[in-house]
Amino acid sequence: MAPSSPTAPAHSRPHEAPGLGARSVHQKPGPDTLLATRDLVIDIPGRAPGAPLELTVDPGQCWGILGPNGAGKSTLLQTLAGLRTARAGTIEVRGQAITRLPRAELARRIGLVFQTHHDGFPATVLETALIGRHPYLRPWDIETSEDYARARAALAEMDLSDLEHRMVDTLSGGERQRLAIATVLTQDPSLLLLDEPTSQLDLHHQVAVLNRVQGIVAQAHRAAVLVLHDVNLAARYCDHLLLLFPDGQACWGPTATMLVPSALERLYNQRLSVGEVDGLPVFLPRNE
Amino acid sequence: MTRAFLLAAAVLLPASLLAVLIALAFGSVAIAPGDLLAVMLGEGSRLHDTLVLELRLPRALAAFAAGGLLGLAGALMQVLLRNPLADPYVLGLSGGASVGALLAMLAGLSMFSVSLAAFAGALLSTVIVFGLAHGTGSWTPTRLLLTGVVVAAGWGAMISFLLAVSPTAELPGMLYWLMGDVSHARNPYPAWILLVLVVFLALPLGRTLNVLARGPMQAAALGVAVRPVEWSIYVAAALITATAVMQVGAVGFVGLIVPHMLRLVFGNDQRVILPASALGGGILLTLADTLARTMIAPEQLPVGVITAMLGVPVFLFLLYRSR
Amino acid sequence: MDFKAFGRNPAMFLAMFLCTAPALAGPVSVTDDDGHEVRLEQPAERIVSLAPHITEVLFAVGAGDKLVGATQHSDFPPEAEMLPRVGGYSRIDMERVVQLDPDLVVAWRSGNSQSQIEHLRELGFHVYVSEPRSFDGVAASMRRMAQLAGTETQGDEAVRSFEEAIDTLRQDYAERDPVRLFYQVWEQPLMTVNDDHLISEAIRLCGGVNVFGHLDRLVPRMDREAVIEADPEVIIGGGMGEDRPDWVLAWTQWEDMTAVQRDNLFFIPPSLLQRHTPRIAEGTRLMCEELERARLRRAD
Repeated sequence: MAPSSPTAPAHSRPHEAPGLGARSVHQKPGPDTLLATRDLVIDIPGRAPGAPLELTVDPGQCWGILGPNGAGKSTLLQTLAGLRTARAGTIEVRGQAITRLPRAELARRIGLVFQTHHDGFPATVLETALIGRHPYLRPWDIETSEDYARARAALAEMDLSDLEHRMVDTLSGGERQRLAIATVLTQDPSLLLLDEPTSQLDLHHQVAVLNRVQGIVAQAHRAAVLVLHDVNLAARYCDHLLLLFPDGQACWGPTATMLVPSALERLYNQRLSVGEVDGLPVFLPRNE
Repeated sequence: MTRAFLLAAAVLLPASLLAVLIALAFGSVAIAPGDLLAVMLGEGSRLHDTLVLELRLPRALAAFAAGGLLGLAGALMQVLLRNPLADPYVLGLSGGASVGALLAMLAGLSMFSVSLAAFAGALLSTVIVFGLAHGTGSWTPTRLLLTGVVVAAGWGAMISFLLAVSPTAELPGMLYWLMGDVSHARNPYPAWILLVLVVFLALPLGRTLNVLARGPMQAAALGVAVRPVEWSIYVAAALITATAVMQVGAVGFVGLIVPHMLRLVFGNDQRVILPASALGGGILLTLADTLARTMIAPEQLPVGVITAMLGVPVFLFLLYRSR
Repeated sequence: MDFKAFGRNPAMFLAMFLCTAPALAGPVSVTDDDGHEVRLEQPAERIVSLAPHITEVLFAVGAGDKLVGATQHSDFPPEAEMLPRVGGYSRIDMERVVQLDPDLVVAWRSGNSQSQIEHLRELGFHVYVSEPRSFDGVAASMRRMAQLAGTETQGDEAVRSFEEAIDTLRQDYAERDPVRLFYQVWEQPLMTVNDDHLISEAIRLCGGVNVFGHLDRLVPRMDREAVIEADPEVIIGGGMGEDRPDWVLAWTQWEDMTAVQRDNLFFIPPSLLQRHTPRIAEGTRLMCEELERARLRRAD
């Protein structure tokens, strides 16, 4: 692809994404920026360092992270949440270094939904949603009726109200995933990090969850970063995309500039057919 | 949470009182309820005063405190390892304590030194198990449990070795110690102070432990400082196990079955389960010791035999039911 | 005087006054085997024994009728079987002891729990700790227990006949031709005794030589090969009861052993040899006779 291509990614460095040949236009973090990384290299044990990332997540943005299995999407998400130390570079949360923020403070600003859920001991659905209030409570505090109300509201949004008293280990995979999202809704952070939030959901709930995320992002001082496997959902719901290539390279920018078929084909090592539905591009694997 | 807490308090506090009362009322010498009442009102005969106040009361209190500590230690370790099968006995802490105690007995030291040696042995075992499991970084519950089980087996072999080379005259005392025995626990107050202290320190930590039970990553994402919390649990569990073992020897299964049974009734909120395990463990050991004193009186059984007779079937049943 | 004790039972007071005049003697004081001074205002009237051999010694020195309680397995003399029990020697039932309200408790240092002995002292009981390790120790024990019970007359007599019996055996046998012997305490595990044990004192007195006397531990556990290699001239079995256990004769499968070839497989009831009581004189006599029999078989 020619360097001058109008669809080239806006925020990427040419030497890191040679196939894309994008311009390096780095957006400077502003006073409202929720999360900014500087020369961030995530730490995947046994792997050569990938391209440094200069991401800036501003309020109102919804980022999608795309990449094949093992590209480091989950690791990146957990690093952004302050749960893993980076190999190099820094992360700032509203201008403060993430390593200097107290954990509880950080949990009020950033919430993360994991791909898998460990329920060591039996607990009810309501109890599980309620732990989202943990960052807001002091040690001796007992959950107030307001905390319960928030948890119940979040369960209602995820269609889980009827299951309030069910034990978590009796839920289906999709129900458990919706519960995890309800928990992060109860947590109510400024920045939502969701690791494959739709992977186990039926079509209706996929759309419902992503609509809800869109609704949150539309509120003041909110943003979201989603790891997705479905390019078409990403195209529809995310305004920014980050492509993580298997060789550690990366490129990122507004969605419109990132949906380059050749880049996506290289990303997934898969030939694609492109179409258009409702004015949005649709990518389907091509079978040869 | 509040309802479960009040329910647990309403059931377990009277039950604790009842357990201590039963321990005071029964022994190898029969005391009529009226005489027991007289003792409590300060009007008992000299014999009854001695029996109830100087023999049964300190022993019941020691059993209760030690049982409470063991129950609490079990509940803490189960959260730490996120595994309902963890307890000080399974993790090798009691084994280390036993080896310490047997070595002290073999050296002919006093009962006080034997207790101190047991304490040191339990701590040493904790350091070994957690140090080895920690290894080069990954401190996974499975690895910890596996290390504990293997170290416990090692202690078991050491115990057999010590029994094999010990003078015949020492054997009965050693065997009683290994099976757990409250008869030499005479000053229950240090254990009580520790019990109350840990319960009150653990209560505000309860919600944090609830979150920790969901896994370290999830807990960290919810604002828990995982490492410091895990280390405090581990130090607290080691300390209270060592104190309990020092009092009553290697009593097994209290830490395993008490939190388990309580979870079935009161749910899994650590703010309820931790204090409830303290009371439940106390009740179990107090009653078990009363049985140990009276079942084949005037001969005395080691209390560990009773808790194991109750504990083994319950353990197997729970293991069978768990997937 | 402890008038409370009498207050409960005036008849006992009368009986004591009439029958046991020496009981009204003054205070007695002896030093026990732990080095504690045991001081009674007057000789003991209610004694609890915490070991079978202590019960036996107390009966031997004439204090049997003052015993009010004893541990399990106190089976000699037969009257001892009737005594109220206070648990096994390794774990005493403290409540029973307290209930019996003894004015003297006689404990066994290597058998009773040290902490229970201390506990009894803390509860205000007079505790005499006994730990005889030799014939002299048995005699000293008898004398002191007789003193505490105020039965010196009978006690001195018992000690005199015990010492006489031992002296006679020593004169008759100690200088005879040495007989190398293996004393078998138990079969599973195979156990013997070293020279520090009371049994070895009996062996020496009879002119015997314990083939494993040099070992470090008091009751060593043995390998059968070591016994076969040592090839003792005599094997004496102990065991638990009053009858010869089968394992004494089981040695006959090793036909090359001297003890087997000469049929020197003997049994002496352990209650006569392993308990620190005056009956050990009887056990020693049996052993001396068996060793003499072995000497006679040398000629064959």
